[in-house]
Amino acid sequence: MNIFDKLAELGFSWPTLVAQIVNFIVLLVMLYFFAYKPVMKMLDQRAQKIKDSLDETQKIKDQAAVAEQDFKKRLEVASKEGQEVIARAMRSGEEARQRAQQEAKVEAQAVVEKARQEIQHERDEAIGELRQEFADLTIVAAEKVITKSLNKNDHQKLIEQVLAESTTLNKKA
Amino acid sequence: MSNKKIGCGCLGCSIPLLTFIILLVIILPLSIFGVMNGAFGSKGIPAPKVELPAEVIFHIGVFPVTNTIITSWITVALLILMALLVTRKPKLIPGRLQSAVEAIIEWMYNFCKDVAGEVKGRKFFPVVTTIFLFVLINALLNLVPGYGTWPITNYAGHEVILLRGANTDINTAAALAVIAFIFIEFWGFKFNGLGYLKKFFTVERAFKGWGKVFHGKLSGFGDVLFGAIDTIVGLLELLLEFVRLLSFTFRLFGNMTGGEILILILFFLLGFAGFGFVQVGYIFEMLVGVVQALIFAGLTLVFATMASEHHGEEEH
Repeated sequence: MNIFDKLAELGFSWPTLVAQIVNFIVLLVMLYFFAYKPVMKMLDQRAQKIKDSLDETQKIKDQAAVAEQDFKKRLEVASKEGQEVIARAMRSGEEARQRAQQEAKVEAQAVVEKARQEIQHERDEAIGELRQEFADLTIVAAEKVITKSLNKNDHQKLIEQVLAESTTLNKKA
Repeated sequence: MSNKKIGCGCLGCSIPLLTFIILLVIILPLSIFGVMNGAFGSKGIPAPKVELPAEVIFHIGVFPVTNTIITSWITVALLILMALLVTRKPKLIPGRLQSAVEAIIEWMYNFCKDVAGEVKGRKFFPVVTTIFLFVLINALLNLVPGYGTWPITNYAGHEVILLRGANTDINTAAALAVIAFIFIEFWGFKFNGLGYLKKFFTVERAFKGWGKVFHGKLSGFGDVLFGAIDTIVGLLELLLEFVRLLSFTFRLFGNMTGGEILILILFFLLGFAGFGFVQVGYIFEMLVGVVQALIFAGLTLVFATMASEHHGEEEH
């Protein structure tokens, strides 16, 4: 009884063995083409895709950072420009105000001056008229006084008084 | 029932407790009855007849088709169908089935890569994975109702079972062992060329030793001695390659047949009263199936890696 006879007692048989080997090889070949190859391809592809998209994400992130930096810079420039514009406007406003003030002052002074001159003029005129009138009055008064008899003393007194008055008037003028 | 006294609200008990009590009330008498007198329908549960050779169901020409060949066809068909379903329209963003299949394949691939390295792993992976899937599905299908119980009258008029787990046939295990053996040796030659044989025929040192002795150098005797040991070790390695055929075969065959018989015995002894025990046996068998599949595939992978390793010290 050789070993194969003994194994046959356990169920060993060449045809079944060959059949199972063929079975397995069929399974191996089929699975190789319908499972392992496509699935491995898919897994590799997916790994590649994930790697790609991660790279892409990194790139986009970098770009965003650059864009943000750029935006910030621009914002800064714009705000500086804006401040400059405001400062310039304020300065020119201030200047305009001062100029207006200056002009107003000059004009006011001119007006005052003119008014004063007019007043002076009016007064001189008034004084001249008054003097004229006063002289006439004096003459009238003198005539009246002359017509009246006066003693020497009274006469003298009157003349002196009139003169005194006239000098004060002159002085005032 | 005592819980009637408590009254309302699921009879005053929580659902799990109630379930437990009901199961106890049903199963305890059943178990006692079953163990004492034989289970209900005990005539329907036959004593396990240990029949190691697979039964022939019919012939194709002169070629006998056993029940284990039929079940391995089912396994092969199932696996190919699964593969076709998944890869007919593969999507980059996978659905559930595709994810599951991809996960298994990726897991096996990573296993191969970890053991054998990137390049060899890719080479070994299809065979290793196929062995794993074939053994695993065979083992799991063996637990499906109908397997090992479906009686049929065969071509010779004997009453046999139609489906029998393919792993419980010594030929299936032997076929896998032969496949593993062939591939291991193939890879050995592929990665080392004819230098692969140097691993088994290590007579170089002994020859050198004899040469030294003939030239009158006594130090040659040491080389002769160690050369002899080398030679014997090499031959042992050669023997081991073939012993693997047996160890692969009987490990799988023994484990799977043993598991099958264990469940049959449990069922026979306890009958329907064995409710619970038989299920534990089933779960245990599922675990054994996974472990055996992993062992067969893993050992193939490890031996292939060992065979394909370059033996630098023998190259000088």
